Order: sequence, then structure tokens, then C-alpha cells
Amino acid sequence: MTVYEFAVYEMLPAAVLGFAAGMVYRIARYLSVYKRTVRPRRRARSIGHSLVHLVKTFAYPIYFSIKEERIMFASGLLGLHILGVIPLLFLFSHHVTWWAYYFPPYAALKRLAIPPSATSAALTVTAPVTPVSGMSGIFVNTIWGPLTVVLNGDVLAIIAIVATVFKVVEKIPKKVVGKVSYVRIGDFVALLLLLFILVTGFMATQHLPSGEIGVYKTVLGLHILGAEVLLILLPFTKFFHFVFGYWYGKLHEWYDLVWTRGV
Amino acid sequence: MEAVVPAVKKALKRVDPVQLHFLENCVACAACESVCPYTPISKLYSPVNKAEELRFMYRKVMTVSGRLLGPLVHAKIPKTEEELEWIREVAYRCTNCWHCYTVCPFGINSGSMISVLRTFVDSIGMTPTILKAFEQFEASGRFMENEGLARVWQQILDKASEAVGGDLPLDKKGAQVLYMPWLAEAMFVPDSVVNTIRILSKIGVDWTMPSKPLAIRPAVGSVTGNLEQKKTVLSAIDSYLKEFGAKTVLLSDGGFPYTDLRFELPGVVGRVPEYRVLHLAEFLVELLRQGKVKFKSGSDKVTWHDPCKLARASGVIPEPRILLREATTEFRELPHHGAESYCCGGGSGMGCMTRELHEAMGQLTGMKFELSERESNFIAKAEEAYLKSIERKMRDVKQSEAEIVVTACPVCVETIQRGASLYGPEVEVLHLATYLVERIEPA
Repeated sequence: MTVYEFAVYEMLPAAVLGFAAGMVYRIARYLSVYKRTVRPRRRARSIGHSLVHLVKTFAYPIYFSIKEERIMFASGLLGLHILGVIPLLFLFSHHVTWWAYYFPPYAALKRLAIPPSATSAALTVTAPVTPVSGMSGIFVNTIWGPLTVVLNGDVLAIIAIVATVFKVVEKIPKKVVGKVSYVRIGDFVALLLLLFILVTGFMATQHLPSGEIGVYKTVLGLHILGAEVLLILLPFTKFFHFVFGYWYGKLHEWYDLVWTRGV
Repeated sequence: MEAVVPAVKKALKRVDPVQLHFLENCVACAACESVCPYTPISKLYSPVNKAEELRFMYRKVMTVSGRLLGPLVHAKIPKTEEELEWIREVAYRCTNCWHCYTVCPFGINSGSMISVLRTFVDSIGMTPTILKAFEQFEASGRFMENEGLARVWQQILDKASEAVGGDLPLDKKGAQVLYMPWLAEAMFVPDSVVNTIRILSKIGVDWTMPSKPLAIRPAVGSVTGNLEQKKTVLSAIDSYLKEFGAKTVLLSDGGFPYTDLRFELPGVVGRVPEYRVLHLAEFLVELLRQGKVKFKSGSDKVTWHDPCKLARASGVIPEPRILLREATTEFRELPHHGAESYCCGGGSGMGCMTRELHEAMGQLTGMKFELSERESNFIAKAEEAYLKSIERKMRDVKQSEAEIVVTACPVCVETIQRGASLYGPEVEVLHLATYLVERIEPA
């Protein structure tokens, strides 16, 4: 059995099950420490105030990091999230096809698909893409128009890879020189796993190190396998913020500060 | 050291789903660093780094991986005196201002975690002596038996009585408004109490106040992490207010006593009280809207410093501004204000970490605060950090070009006054009541 076959046919259901079990475990832990308490009388504020501040609750950290922590904003939020992992994961054309295969309604997002490069809309592995081709100057025909200059797999993957490397590297002096306690081994494991997935994905799209079908399938298999490992580890790593921590945290903050206290 | 494990377990009993989120979902982005008043002194005092000390214990006690793998997954229980001393140090480099809470992309309240860490510090008997003394004095309910403290209170009553030109309506049953000043206000910002009384008398409100303060500053246990003390004190206050039949409870203290009474009390005593708790700012805005008071407007260059507990933790943000804009045409905001206001650095007991205060309290109460060499060093270092932490706020004040800083928390008044003398600019720092008393009148 090849790595590719193992990743696609054997590991996938196990990864989904592992993820589901991990999520159930994490949620059960929350329920296990539930304590009944008497809530205070909420401060009367209009629904409009509460809704505006719902948006503000989510926006304030972004606004603040743009204003006060520009490097963190550029590397973490912009590079890694907004221009990196989020569009690649959900809108990169190959991924849209993958999601739609397992969840057909997802095909509706095909119109928003981001092509592998600015000069080709090729969506299949049989049409390898040259990043700069004889078609230079003519953007691939996507809904994104000129934005395709940035919104393409090559550029986004490079941004995500650079941002991930930066996030790994910036932690080293903090830990070694600054002696801070909050840089954890798990952070490196998580970021290096992400880096592995990004690099193998980029290599597979580019048919690197060679276009030979066996090599290609091995690289792609490693990419998928990496993603599956991430899926299994997701409930137990910092990636949990993506499916739960971020949403729960900010919604709780809104409920506590805005809804209850009227901030 | 045998007290450590039970103390860890006691602290971790405070873990509920929200604390669990705080403990588990930090991605170590350190966004919280930039808002904490103590991080400019050392990155080791950043909220995320301080909270990590609690996470070490949590992982060791409450996670499977922590129990099995220990240090490999950053799970440990402190084992040496040095480790305990470090935990006390980081626990007392936090004002619980909650700015880390709002700036965190995941809504993690590191201040709340540091409060849990203080429960641990308290359980191993390492709470700073002066706070412990306040805490025990307050819980005993016998602090007015102390001659020095009783004298302070009597002086306040005398001054207020003289200012209003007659007897104060003390313990008057059936009054519409029950004003609750605390002993700490009488000690540190006596003018705020006297001027609140003057305002109440001047605008003709049917008011009263207890002849003796019910607490030093309730609840000191909120600061030290001693939840039993907090429950004892808040329950006693709640019983008094219930028995008194209070309808509106008015506070001039805009620090943690406001959040304790307004938002924490129901969870602590297990019932939603029938009385409402208002800060002076809210109360006066209510009267203004009802057309019962008006202001003589001047042109002082005034700014408002939002006490963290009153603004970020309680939502009393528009009210002081409404009042100050009525009272002066030259009101201006600080660069960081409202829910984004920078903390002054003095909250959550940090303002008590000065040798000067130890001496002053010793003289006032006749108590001798005997500190070990280790604690003396701790206080000296904490004082140095506290005094440095104020500088950032003063830069904001300077930028505003205000000549008067008005605020509502005794510790903020004290801290910004210190900041002005240490770093400038030359400003007058006044409690809201003091600023408004000459400008407010009945409509």
C-alpha cells in the first residue's frame, strides 16, 4: 500500500473518527466542571448596542493589533490566517473539489475557487501548472479578477509558509533569551506540523521534486496524511481555537461584558 | 511545602467551564502583552506568562497528559521556596484590569486566572501581610474597635457634618438612597466621602448612610483570592442591606467594591438582591435626565480616567462623560479611554505595595507589620514595579493636555497623583464628587 492509498483510503475515516472523539472529550470536560450560579441582573442596554458591540468584541483585538502590534498582525493574523491558511483551506481550488467530493453542497463555492497560480485555472493533477507561463499578463478566468495576482495558490502558500516559519523562529529567542514560560513545546509541534502540510501541499501542486507520478502521489499522500494527523490532534492542540476556542471565547466575553455588564 | 498540593487543589476548585477555556485555549500569541501595565517592566510579567504559572498546576492536576508526561507537557507543581516566591511575585504584578481579556483574540481573561493564582498564594500563607491584615480585619467586622480607624471615621463624619451645616441623617430607615462609603475611602480619599455627602444634601435627595462603615473595602478577599473572606463580607453586607430595606445603594468608590456589589454578589450569596447598586455617576445622570439637577458649566481642561472596574468590568462608561460635559466645555478624552482605557497600575492591591503605606497604616492602627526579610524584599521589588507601571498612564494624561484628571476609584486617585509627582504633567487629580460638588445644583 502506498502512502497515498493509506492516506486516502485507510487513514481518512480514522482521522474523522479521531477528531470526533477528541471533540466529544473536550466538550465533555467543559460540562464536567459546570457549576450552577446565580447571575446578576443585567445592565439595561438596547439590542442595537448589544449587536454593535458583538461586532466590536470580535473586531477589537484586530483593531488593536493593527494599531499597537503591527508585526504580530502582519505575521499572525494577516499572513497566517487571513491570507494564508483560511483561504487556502476553504477556497483553494483543489481543496474545494476535495470538500465537494465528501460534502456535495460545498460545490456551490466552486465559483469562489482560488486557482493554483495567477495564470492558470487548471484544477486537476493532470495539468501541471507553471507559475510563470507564456500566458503572463492574462489573469486566469476566476471571479477574483485582478485580485488573482494575490489570490492564487502559489502566492498564498508562500505567504503562509513564510508566516509559519516566522512564528516558529520568533518563539526561539523568547524562550531561550527571554526565558518566558508560555512558549510551549506543543506550539512548535503544532506549527511544524502545519509547516509540513503547507510545504508538501505546495510541492504537490508544483509537482516537486519531480513530475513523476509515483513521486507526485507520495508527496500528495504525505500532504493528506499530515492534514489527517492535524485533524486528529486538533482538539488537543492550539488548532482547537479554530473550531471552538475562538468562537466560545469571544461569545462568552460578549455575554459577560456586553450583555451582562453593559460595556 | 506539604501545604502546596492541597493549596493547588483548592485553587483549582475554582475551575468552571469559563476558567477551563482560559486555561486551555491560549495559543501563546501574547497579544495581551501590549496592554498590561506591568509588561513594560518585564516581559515575564506579561499576562500570558503570569497565567502560565496556573496552567502548569492545572495540567499536572487536571489533565491526563500532564499527569503522565509532567514537564514534557509543561505540567508541574511548585516544589521549592524560590518557585513559590516567583509565583507570589507574578501574582502580585497584576491589577486585574481585564484589558488582557478584551484584547485577547480568544477572550481569555488572564486577570481572572491570576486571581485563582492568588487563591493558591493565599492558601500557602504567602499573601502580603498588609493585605492579609486588611482581609482579616474586614472579615472580623471588628475593625471599628481599632482606635485609629474609629478616629478616621469620626473625623469624616465631623467634616461632613460641618460641611452640610447640621447632623447627618445616619441609619435613617426608609430613606430612598443608602450611601455606602467604605473605611478605605475615608482613609485615602476622605474628600470623596465628604463631597458625596455634600452633593446628596445639596440636591435634596432623601438619603442616609450607616453610622459605621460595613467594610474596609469589600471584599478584600476579592483581591487576595480568599473566597471564604469574600463570602463572609458580602453576605454580611447583603444581610444588612436586606434588613435595612434599602432600595438604592449608592457607592462613591468606583473600584472593585462596585463590581463586587453590583455583579459578583448574587453569585456569592446565591440570590439576586432586591436593591439596586448605583455608582454616583449613574445616580447623578439619572437625576439629570429626570430634570432634578443642573450644572454650572465652566471651562476647566478636564479629562476622565476610567477606573478599570467601573468601565471595562461594569460598563459605566457614558455616565461620567455626560456629567463632565455638563460641568465644563473643555472636556477631553485620554488617548486610551472607555473600555480601552489604560490601567493606572494601582489596582488589585498593587497600590498597597509601598513601604510608605506600611508605615502609615502602622502609625494609624498601632499595628506593627513585621515583615520577614523575604517579604521586605518582595515589597521593595513590588513597589518599584508599581511606581514604574504608572508612567504609561501619565503619558496618556500628558497627551490629553488636561489640567484636571477626574476619576472615581480611590486607588486611581492615589496612583495618578503619585504618577503626576513622579513623571508629570502637573495636574490636579480629583474624585468625581469633589469636582462636581461646586458645580451641581438642584434644578
